[in-house]
Amino acid sequence: MDDKEFKSLLETARISLIETESEKIKKDLEEVISYFDQLDKIDCGNLQPAYHPIEIPGIMRDDVPEEFKEKKELLDNTKTHRLYVIGPEV
Amino acid sequence: MKSYIAEFDTKEKPKDYYNKLLENLKEKNRELNAFNNFNDSLHGGFPFSVKDNICVKGVESTASSKILKTYKPPFNATVVERLQKNNFGFLGKTNMDEFGFGSFGINCEAPAHNPFNSDYVAGGSSSGAAIATAILKYHVAVAESTGGSISSPAAFCGVVGFTPTYGVVSRNGLIDYANSLDKIGFMARSAIDVRKVLNMSTGRDTKDTTSLDVRLTDEPKIQFSVINQLMNGLDGKIRSAFDKFLEKLKGMDYKVNYVDLKEIEAAIPAYYVISAAEASTNLARYTGFKYGFKVNDFSKKYNDFFTEARKQFGAEAKRRIILGTFVRSASVKNRYYIRALKVRAMLNEKMRRILRESFIVSPTMPITTPKIADIEKLSPVQNYALDILTIPPNLCGLPHISFPYDYIGGMPIGAQVIGEHFNDYAVISFVENWERKFKYKFRYNIGAL
Repeated sequence: MDDKEFKSLLETARISLIETESEKIKKDLEEVISYFDQLDKIDCGNLQPAYHPIEIPGIMRDDVPEEFKEKKELLDNTKTHRLYVIGPEV
Repeated sequence: MKSYIAEFDTKEKPKDYYNKLLENLKEKNRELNAFNNFNDSLHGGFPFSVKDNICVKGVESTASSKILKTYKPPFNATVVERLQKNNFGFLGKTNMDEFGFGSFGINCEAPAHNPFNSDYVAGGSSSGAAIATAILKYHVAVAESTGGSISSPAAFCGVVGFTPTYGVVSRNGLIDYANSLDKIGFMARSAIDVRKVLNMSTGRDTKDTTSLDVRLTDEPKIQFSVINQLMNGLDGKIRSAFDKFLEKLKGMDYKVNYVDLKEIEAAIPAYYVISAAEASTNLARYTGFKYGFKVNDFSKKYNDFFTEARKQFGAEAKRRIILGTFVRSASVKNRYYIRALKVRAMLNEKMRRILRESFIVSPTMPITTPKIADIEKLSPVQNYALDILTIPPNLCGLPHISFPYDYIGGMPIGAQVIGEHFNDYAVISFVENWERKFKYKFRYNIGAL
């Protein structure tokens, strides 16, 4: 992975690193990815990817609105204006 | 067989008992870093602790991450609700590797120390849960495992750690690490207490679409399979102690056979690809204004604001987010992520074939308890490779239990038994049987409360 690719990856991941941290993590990443390459040697035949370890029936609950009573406690975790959460400009 | 839950009787006025308990626990915690906080208003019930990535209403729940500092969930995790309805009293939140990223309890602000010798690791990521179980005689810990986070600390701290079949205990209220791998489980000093809390905690939960409504079985096996490839990298002392353990099993009329599963070592890269991919999307929710840590400079545009907030993550969390973002990227997704999912399917099929006729048994960890200073020197790959024994059952969502069976150099060591999906009670029954025959004793005085 060259420096340009690594920089682009950090931007996608929204991670900012100081220079010394960046050098170490880039080296770690290269080592880990080369370790991952051993997956290439495994013959998986025609098996389908297992997104879960067991079959999940995927039962959804009915789409019925419920009142969440602890609104104040929920909003206590945020900065608010009336009942609106204050966030950054998009 | 003794049950700590059944024997629990304060004999003192409840308020006095709990106040004294909390006072003593806080004193011990200064040395060991088992708890992130305590419930000072606990005045009743059988004490249970909760790993800090599981929500307790109104109690700071940070997953030991700076990015979640001050976050107080306005609801209880389903498992917490279910235990509280059964006369369990919430004791406090236990320390862990940040978001579960680690096997030794040191990837956090306050590294955990082993109660048998504080120079050594407690294991991870449920480090605090295992320490609390070791130092508190009457107590059950609610913990969580993604790749071995219950087995590893249970083994290093000399307690029983049980991880159920994936989907059996609701994950509602769990701060996600990797959704397809996370499982809430339990630690206790005896298998019978694990059975009791598992009984109270299972059952379909409409708040978790992956929770299952299944009847867990208790079908015993008389045969134990040892996977040859897992024995290759064992420390010599662990191998020798484990061979003696197998002899004891034979003495209990169990059969032991050796089998090959040559692809088993691929479980580690498959696990780290899948878990990093899922973690990198789960951790995207920490944006600096919804939970915990707040960025106060609203002149920043969204991406800069987001990036600023994420400076709060520790080194291992940053590493896994970057790694997960990489393996999900379009150009390599098939090579790493999809391939890892296929390897999981293949290993699942092969392990299930072995488990039809037997349990799978191994030491829980391939090494004796390491010193904290030694683990800090390891590279990520050396570190991840030490999970070889705990990752396979976690990758495949199989129920497994770690239990203490001996000591090496004054530190406890554990063995791990894996069962078929949904045959959870069978692995617990086996350990109950083992405990009847070879009652585990805390041979060294660690000043348990």
